[in-house]
Amino acid sequence: MAEIKVTDRDGGEQLVGAYDGRPLMEALRDSELGVLGTCGGNCSCGTCHVYVAESWMAKLAPRTEDEQAMLDAIAELVEVKPNSRLSCQIEVTESLDGLEVKIGPVA
Amino acid sequence: MTAAPINLKMLLESRSMERCPFPIPMGWYHVDFSDTLKAGEMRNVNLFDQEWVLFRTEGGKVGMSDPYCAHLGAHMGHGGKVVGENLRCPFHHWEYNTEGWCQKIPYAKVMPPITRKQAIVRMLPVVEKYGMIWAWFHPTCGAPVWELPYIPEMEDEKGWAGNRRGTWTASTCIQEIAENGVDVAHLKFLHGSPIIPPVEATYDGPKMVLNIGAGYIVGDNYGPGLNVMRFTQQGLSATMLSYSVPVTAEKTQMNMCFRHKDYAEGSKELAASKKMIDHMIGAAEGEESAGFESVDFIVWNNKKYRRNPLLCDGDGPILQFRKWFQQFYVDADLSKIATSA
Repeated sequence: MAEIKVTDRDGGEQLVGAYDGRPLMEALRDSELGVLGTCGGNCSCGTCHVYVAESWMAKLAPRTEDEQAMLDAIAELVEVKPNSRLSCQIEVTESLDGLEVKIGPVA
Repeated sequence: MTAAPINLKMLLESRSMERCPFPIPMGWYHVDFSDTLKAGEMRNVNLFDQEWVLFRTEGGKVGMSDPYCAHLGAHMGHGGKVVGENLRCPFHHWEYNTEGWCQKIPYAKVMPPITRKQAIVRMLPVVEKYGMIWAWFHPTCGAPVWELPYIPEMEDEKGWAGNRRGTWTASTCIQEIAENGVDVAHLKFLHGSPIIPPVEATYDGPKMVLNIGAGYIVGDNYGPGLNVMRFTQQGLSATMLSYSVPVTAEKTQMNMCFRHKDYAEGSKELAASKKMIDHMIGAAEGEESAGFESVDFIVWNNKKYRRNPLLCDGDGPILQFRKWFQQFYVDADLSKIATSA
């Protein structure tokens, strides 16, 4: 279990518990923070977009080609930054305890 | 007295033999005649062991699509529609072009990235030639590895005539049917031909040329799905185009059409070439030998495939033919493909 510090779209902050070995998207979706995760982790909907705190970026596995393609696709509608990630592609581990993310805007 | 040991395999092998131990081979196959599919039309066809949605766009391009939408699996051949250059799924109006690329999702703000990278519904490569629709089937979606040949009898605007055609269904695989082409001995004993004609087979990649009876019949085979057989007798010739297509691994639709030179109406030559065509089908009157229609099916529909046939010195080049045909089979373990990333 890792505790994630989440900033929602209204700027509110809260702690969300996330299970090890599961995609971060699921914890965010189940906490009803506006993350939909419609495609189930397939990199085809872009509805789980988050901004990861700079200090945590290096601790995450890099974007895959599929994730990059989806981020490129939503870039036409929302701001994609160097710290943008699809939360379905972040696998939760103990080492991510304390991870800080901000929910991305609605496309 | 001790009996000599016997070869039990010889006696018991048939217990484990199968009728059609082959997958569907790759190749160009006849789907239908071009004039049966109008612009904007769509219908379901069963070929290559599955159902396909055959359609023609408003602009005239033919598509042959796996029925199931990449989105939620609706069968596009039930309630789907040709819209412009696309096939539209009835469920959510996702649209696909004839190559299977998704062209439109009417309610998506962002197209899934894979739609820009590749086709997401399997559609077979299609060409129209000889007045027919041809599809390239490959078990793992490989691109065509040869082209359909120029056939003057079918493609030249002048000089050729004849509109006889026929369709038959055999309960066996396409390889078993094609094997009869090199099995010259059966021509005498099954068909009642007066002699066993000599056969010469030459192989060149996907092409096999059979010369039967020292030039009497020359057959150009282009993969499993097209055989152009030219019969020549006393200076006259007639052509049989044979284009079989696998319906399933154990059922083959055999199609043929027949052409001859456009000899003058009422001429001796015209009568002779028509008689030659009758002979090919086996409908010629007063002939002793039987065409394939009356005799081959009883064998095809009931035989089993012997991997290790017991051949004798008078048999044709059966094993060479089988070796040639082997190139059309592709190892397609779908369970492996489904689990690979």
